Amino acid sequence: MELIRPELVCPAGTPAALKSAVEAGADCVYVGYRDETNARNFPGLNFSRKELEEGIAFAHDHGAKVLVAINTFPRAGTPELWHQAVDDAARLKADAVILADIGLIAYAAAKHPDLRLHLSVQAAASNPESIRFYAERFGVQRVVLPRVLTVQEIAALNPQIRPVETEVFVFGGLCVMAEGRCALSSYATGQSPNMNGVCSPAAHVRYVDTASGTKSQLAGFTINQFGHGEPAGYPTLCKGRFVANGKTSYLFEEPTSLNTLAMLPDLIKAGVTAFKIEGRQRGRAYVAAVVQAFRAGVDAVMAGRPLPDMDLDRITEGGRQTTGAYERAWR
Amino acid sequence: MTEAQYRSGAKPMTPPFSPVLLLGLALKPLRPAVLQPVFDAMLRVVRKRHPDILERMEPFQDKVVCVDPVDLPFVLLLEPNMAEPRLTVRRAVDPDESHATIRGPLETLIALAEGKVDGDALFFSRQLVIEGDTEVVVALRNAIDGAGIDLIADLTSMLGPLANPARRVADATIETMSHLRANVETLRQALIAPAMAGAAARDARLAELEAEVKALRKANRRGHA
Repeated sequence: MELIRPELVCPAGTPAALKSAVEAGADCVYVGYRDETNARNFPGLNFSRKELEEGIAFAHDHGAKVLVAINTFPRAGTPELWHQAVDDAARLKADAVILADIGLIAYAAAKHPDLRLHLSVQAAASNPESIRFYAERFGVQRVVLPRVLTVQEIAALNPQIRPVETEVFVFGGLCVMAEGRCALSSYATGQSPNMNGVCSPAAHVRYVDTASGTKSQLAGFTINQFGHGEPAGYPTLCKGRFVANGKTSYLFEEPTSLNTLAMLPDLIKAGVTAFKIEGRQRGRAYVAAVVQAFRAGVDAVMAGRPLPDMDLDRITEGGRQTTGAYERAWR
Repeated sequence: MTEAQYRSGAKPMTPPFSPVLLLGLALKPLRPAVLQPVFDAMLRVVRKRHPDILERMEPFQDKVVCVDPVDLPFVLLLEPNMAEPRLTVRRAVDPDESHATIRGPLETLIALAEGKVDGDALFFSRQLVIEGDTEVVVALRNAIDGAGIDLIADLTSMLGPLANPARRVADATIETMSHLRANVETLRQALIAPAMAGAAARDARLAELEAEVKALRKANRRGHA
């Protein structure tokens, strides 16, 4: 069987990060606007229209593509901001838009028939019927799979949905909840990644020094306490440490980062078209390190060489790594 | 920083033993006002070469961020006002004077400003401490990371025809710092060697005692059986 050479889809929260990603070997860079139309609507992050135009020109000059994430769900009755985001991506010659909301996908398909459509992980489409519906009805050409499938399940799914391409996360932060449907952040702060583009918005986060370490608080709720020198994680409720049945533990998920570097041969054999690196909120140093590692990894597999030994421990959340649902080692 | 720490002048994060720490001790007698023109010039250059930093900080114009290099006897107060930004050197600040604090060793803060290290990774590994308004800290981190700052190139750019010689001096200084760092590390190892030897002896004795306790417990259980 001939292997598909997967595209490396890399994050960029700023023009400088876009440049770092392209120079480190990204095939595609995904970005968002400076507003609530994307799921990383963080302070000081993201692209103005002018920066996007310049970023696309830089990427195209270097043989890379730019994908624009417009992957939050428009507020009922006021879809204009999201429509404008799609119109501008088409006008600025983005190579694709990454969308989650079915109404916005319908808008993009009708208004910009030549614009390539990718289905965001936020749409949580994980079975052939769902994916085929988006493809047949709206012409979606790629689906970003939720992080719930094993490699075997992905390998079985691919032949059933062709010619739709699959994109899977290979590195970075993990969501343990049904993607696009998690309300934990809303419960505590009134804002969610789905509607506002922010999970545990920074405005609601406080770190408080105590005698025994540092307490992290979200909207006044204490969600974790780290001892002096103990590795920390993001201040999200799903990664909080809580007391249940008299025992303090990470009830949902421990602070850890997905790392599938060692699994690249299996994912390539499973027929995946694109490998996605999470982390538009991370700095240029993260982008450069992870993209270089995965560039080297993909190139090695395609050339039949052994995987290079790349140490990414220092940039992982909580200083820990997992292969997540791809292996389901906990079963 | 707590009120008591503020009053004592002690830093709430232990600085690493480094050339910067030694330099900081040497600079202690210096009045912050003497250094202020350096930071005024630095801000002018950054403002000219990286206007996007203030643009990204626009929603936070009225905030004050304290940048605390824990190995130096000074702190910096940044006011990212679009029209009149300020970077002020101070000996210390009252907790009420700033909305947020970013604290870490100077070399870590410089590496962060130049995008050579990832801010989240530094936070995860606790090499960077943030206090107060997290939103303004995240915005500043993103704005600076996105600007592509190169401190030496930025600072030497204001010297006109002297930029190239200044760059060579800066490169030589960095190399000297690298040698100094190695020497200081040797010094640190020498200073802590007796304490480490004592700790190793105590660890070994503790392991022996644990083994003895284990054996006694086992014997005791057998006696009761």
